[in-house]
Amino acid sequence: MDIYAEEVMDHYEQPRNQGELEGNDVRTARDANASCGDMIQFFIKTKAGRVIDVKWKGIGCAISVAGASKLSEYLQGQSLGDLARMSEAELVKAIGFQVNPGRMKCLTLPIRVVQKILES
Amino acid sequence: MFDPKQVRKDFPILGRVIHDKPLVYLDSGATSQKPKVVLDAEREYYEQHNANVHRGAHTLGDEATQMYQDARSVVARFIGGQSQEVVFVRNATEALNLVAYAWGLDSLRAGDVILTTEMEHHANLVPWQEVARRTGAKVELVKVSAQGLLDQEDYKRKLKLKPKLVAIVQVSNALGTINPVFEMTRMAHKAGAVVVVDGAQAIPHMSVNVNDLECDFYVFSGHKMLGPMGIGVLWGRGNILESMSPFLTGGGMINEVYADHSTWAQVPEKFEAGTPNVAGAVGIKAAIEYLEGLGMDNIRKHDEDIVGYALAKLGEVEQITLLGGRDASKRSGSVNFIYEGVHAHDVATILDSLGVAVRSGHHCTMVLHNALGITASIRASFNVYTIHEDIERLVVALGKVKQVFGR
Ligand SMILES: Cc1ncc(COP(=O)(O)O)c(C=O)c1O
Repeated sequence: MDIYAEEVMDHYEQPRNQGELEGNDVRTARDANASCGDMIQFFIKTKAGRVIDVKWKGIGCAISVAGASKLSEYLQGQSLGDLARMSEAELVKAIGFQVNPGRMKCLTLPIRVVQKILES
Repeated sequence: MFDPKQVRKDFPILGRVIHDKPLVYLDSGATSQKPKVVLDAEREYYEQHNANVHRGAHTLGDEATQMYQDARSVVARFIGGQSQEVVFVRNATEALNLVAYAWGLDSLRAGDVILTTEMEHHANLVPWQEVARRTGAKVELVKVSAQGLLDQEDYKRKLKLKPKLVAIVQVSNALGTINPVFEMTRMAHKAGAVVVVDGAQAIPHMSVNVNDLECDFYVFSGHKMLGPMGIGVLWGRGNILESMSPFLTGGGMINEVYADHSTWAQVPEKFEAGTPNVAGAVGIKAAIEYLEGLGMDNIRKHDEDIVGYALAKLGEVEQITLLGGRDASKRSGSVNFIYEGVHAHDVATILDSLGVAVRSGHHCTMVLHNALGITASIRASFNVYTIHEDIERLVVALGKVKQVFGR
């Protein structure tokens, strides 16, 4: 297994959709892995039950940053209902990165943040 | 002096291959590996002598009880204490909680000061925060200097607050610093405090004598000193242990039980409720005998040599910033560092891909990491089986971080 595959390093070096969103139709949440010092915040703009824009910001290791970046791409245009029905494991699959068990919490950090938004 | 290359043959796990590479185990500070004699001792106990202790009049019960008491005597001799002052617990964390709850709840009042340090493992900080919350006492922390030492001026200042308790780590698990515990204990006693020493990272690497240290409590875990997981030690000064209420209650720690009240067994049984970890005690005894066979002074020499070598070799790596002091004679057990521009977990994962096991994160010292202004660090930690080649393989493996991250 190559954790630092080309795609992971690409998302880490050039993270997509970094930034913030504002407005009544924007929902946001954040979470942290205290033991790593990692923190991720997502902003999701919705219209008619769909994601129409995503931004995120934060600091973290290569896995959590690349994971947040890839997840932000995946979320674009998705239906909120479909996303809300997805389990953590399904979202990990959607990101598509391979990590060993010890690093899974890095990959699930951005997922937990998005799930917080979906539950709110 | 022993030859660590020969010592390695006693540790079956060091033959493991990880990702097609021979294991380089540099995480002994989290837990040490176990020599075969320890594993055999536990197995022999279960295969030949297993029975519950202190109850029933049958041969196996007598043998198990005898082995448990023998283990207690060996621990006592090893640290220069008395058998009845040695309480078996699960680990250093439980020992500190025992002191916090059994001594702290009865002895601390609102406004009292508990003095500990920024360098502590969470095990020697969080229990005091909890006891403070319940009693109204206050926790004060001695500052850590930029060189990774306890700030002795700050300590003296805070002793003027007349703390009831001083809790200090002998060797830091995140900086490797050896603290001047004896001098600090003397000063604490002059200020009227009871002194708890966290010896979890000291006991594997150097000779410890609780009477020379003059502390009141000394705690450690078996699993960091070549012994099994699940057994640890609280040593307490006899008169203080006598005066304390029990921590956990139930079977094994009572003298008489009536419908409405009970009386307690003598120390140390008073603090050992329920069926103890006899195999663990047998294992820690075997570990101590193994350490004594190598000689604690030799072990410390080897430790200093490895720490010095690691500081020198890692110091040559451009991207690395070492944490703590540079003088190996004032450090023990580990070398801690950050890799500029790459997260500690990413470094550890890459090292693992080359068979090199290190720890990354805050190592249960969040307060220290905050004080140093960092979030996570990497720790290479050692024991008697660590060899120069381990350090060299670590340095080579760090080269791959540069390959992957381009810095
Ligand atoms: C300095 C120090 N104190 C206490 C502990 C806690 O030990 P245990 O987890 O065995 O209770 C550790 C272990 O990491 C330690 O390094």
